[in-house]
Amino acid sequence: MIYLDNAATTAISPKVMDVLKESMESDFANPGTIYSIGLDAKKKVERAKQDIITALNIPSTHKIVFTSGGTEANNLFIKGFCLSGKKVAYLGLEHPSILEPLAYLGSLGNKPLSLLEYQTEGRLDLKQASALSKSQSRLLCLSHVNNELGTVNDPVLVFEALHVNSPDTRLFMDGVQAVSSMRISSKVWTGLAAYSLSGHKIHGPKGIGLLVYDSKLAITPSIHGGRQQDGVRSGTLPVPLIRAMARAIVLAVERIDEMQDHFNFLHNRLVQGLCELNEQLPELNIRFNSLVIDDLQKQSPSIVNFSFAPVEGEVLLHHLEEKNIFVGLGSACSASSKKPSKILTGIGLSEEQARCSLRVSFSGNNTIEDVDLLLKEFSVAYQALYPIFKDKYSRN
Amino acid sequence: MKTKTLLIRYDEIGLKGRNRRHFENQLVSNIRYALRDIKNIKIDKIHGRILGRVDLTDAEKCTLRLTQIPGIASISIGNSMEPDFETMAELGVSLIHEKLQAQGELKFCVRTRRSNKAFPFTSREVDFEVGSRIMGVLSSKGLSVDIKRAEFVLEIEIGPQETIVFDNRVSGLSGLPVGSSGQVLSLLSGGIDSPVSTFKLINRGCRVHSIFFDNRTFLGRGGYDKVVRLAHILNRFQGGGKLYVVPFQDIQVAIRDHCTDSNRVVLYRRMMYRISHALAELKNYQGLVTGESVGQVASQTLKNLMAVSCVVPMSVLRPLIGMNKQEIITHAKQIGTYEISIEPQPDCCSVFMPDHPGTSCKIKYLEADERLYPWEELMSSALNSVETIDLDGLD
Repeated sequence: MIYLDNAATTAISPKVMDVLKESMESDFANPGTIYSIGLDAKKKVERAKQDIITALNIPSTHKIVFTSGGTEANNLFIKGFCLSGKKVAYLGLEHPSILEPLAYLGSLGNKPLSLLEYQTEGRLDLKQASALSKSQSRLLCLSHVNNELGTVNDPVLVFEALHVNSPDTRLFMDGVQAVSSMRISSKVWTGLAAYSLSGHKIHGPKGIGLLVYDSKLAITPSIHGGRQQDGVRSGTLPVPLIRAMARAIVLAVERIDEMQDHFNFLHNRLVQGLCELNEQLPELNIRFNSLVIDDLQKQSPSIVNFSFAPVEGEVLLHHLEEKNIFVGLGSACSASSKKPSKILTGIGLSEEQARCSLRVSFSGNNTIEDVDLLLKEFSVAYQALYPIFKDKYSRN
Repeated sequence: MKTKTLLIRYDEIGLKGRNRRHFENQLVSNIRYALRDIKNIKIDKIHGRILGRVDLTDAEKCTLRLTQIPGIASISIGNSMEPDFETMAELGVSLIHEKLQAQGELKFCVRTRRSNKAFPFTSREVDFEVGSRIMGVLSSKGLSVDIKRAEFVLEIEIGPQETIVFDNRVSGLSGLPVGSSGQVLSLLSGGIDSPVSTFKLINRGCRVHSIFFDNRTFLGRGGYDKVVRLAHILNRFQGGGKLYVVPFQDIQVAIRDHCTDSNRVVLYRRMMYRISHALAELKNYQGLVTGESVGQVASQTLKNLMAVSCVVPMSVLRPLIGMNKQEIITHAKQIGTYEISIEPQPDCCSVFMPDHPGTSCKIKYLEADERLYPWEELMSSALNSVETIDLDGLD
């Protein structure tokens, strides 16, 4: 099997699995209890938290709250910070776990400001940051690495632009896709009001994520209960999941330089291979939706998104699936609708073009041979499918 | 271990004439099969009823399963006893007492059915004798008799061999026992309609096997998984069903590439019918079942239904033909297939669907289209690659 959909989820790392298994067997006690085994469990959570703080260079001004995943972390912060009526802005190319809580705020009368007109190449055009000041937005929500495109909003650069042009606007970033390919330095945190992460995108377990937030901020809890985690997120802490995620984060950070090189290598090979195919096949018309540049401030090398109208991405995906190659749709449909997501149409593609796209996303488990085989089978499938689709859409 | 008696009633079989025994035997056999894993169970057929003896702890579980077996009108869990007024009243008091305590007041009545005509009291007399004994104990605690508006009915069946007392009735599916009407093949998709049409024929006593036309090369495996789950649910009403999965992508591609756009959908369906018919002949099934309903979509106009049916010399059974969508949805919810059917899953890729499907395709043009691609060869190839799934094996 060749798995190239690592932005959807990743295989759990054996080293993380060892921690998870050991902890599942031994750490059953509730870390909120006051007897010795509960206190031991609590100590292990604190140790895991410390490992995360060290790995991600989180300063003492920020706090960690464990959640069930990235979606909950995004919901917790956006609703928890803005339910009181604070104005909020977003680019318009974010994951549904940001767009939907914002739409919910909108339904309550706090309509969020879309900055989609200021997007350039899938990122926020920082020259336009003064728009936030004019709208009196107190929060800007952005993806650090876009989940479909891999395009980057660099937190340091965004903060600098906000600091100059809209100093009252705080920055919240969805970091779910970022940790495997972006180094989080200590200066990143200076400008961040909050940042979210998920365990399963970095070879950790599903069902666990976290929110890091500026401890000066008051967050209204979404989940009420036993007042665990200072009441911000009640619920018994899942010690094994927390320890396993901490291990996954530490491993990801340890290998970040190696992974950046590896992803660059795979990314370049794929882009080059697709360009060659484009030359060889007169009927193929590749359009890269991700940026084809070697610049971590603009594009993560772990994601390549490309279109190839008129052949539908979904059909090509299934043809690759028959060869045991698994890639993502370039524009994920929501569970209940066939309409493509707003990201590709948001950067200017038509709905048809958006449907004719795939997303390839790498992990450390992928090899150059995987990319070569993908290119070979993509070429075979495209040539088989082109005659079927050629009349369906006019070429763009 | 205390035992309970399951009183299993049937309705439509009771109207049968000389072949009634055949239907009864089939129902008993189906009940035995459905409850085959229940220990210490004994099923007997007495005149007009089927009785099951089960351990007290299994009674509810057995009743639930019996509600899923076509041919059964209703089921009661009761107690077998001697037709002695004191004993029957004692049981009545114990059944009523708890409810009475909870409510404070309760209207009740006794209803007796006496098929043992040698029993020296009439039904009315039994009602009176047992009812008055119960009133003697509980009238001071709020119990009253009200025959028309009873909140609690104590039922007594006095049969030739035994007497059963009970206070509950659970409705069954009615219809005819599976196996009494032969075997058919249903064209099953992941949609809402075809699972309902499949169920309708199961409930008329047919053993229904299903056939699914799979195009996973274009649509992925999601549709296949969905149909396997639907077929599995439907098979619980019958047992012994099979699901045949036919690879269909080559045929769809050929039709799409060679034939008139507006005829495509009808041409796909003509091939589905032909393949189903060939398989049904091979397996000795006696009809095809579809979920078509007049006018629901372009391929289901009267003209297109004719254009499709005419390719097979076999009965095409369309139990939903006169039903509207809402009725079909209600049925789908009742049989438990609706929630699966509405899971999003592509059932036809946009590339195969014409922009304007014809609503009155002419047979001579369809035949002309079919001369443009090697349908016999493709059909034979598809039939050689059929996957057969034994649905009992999925339990």
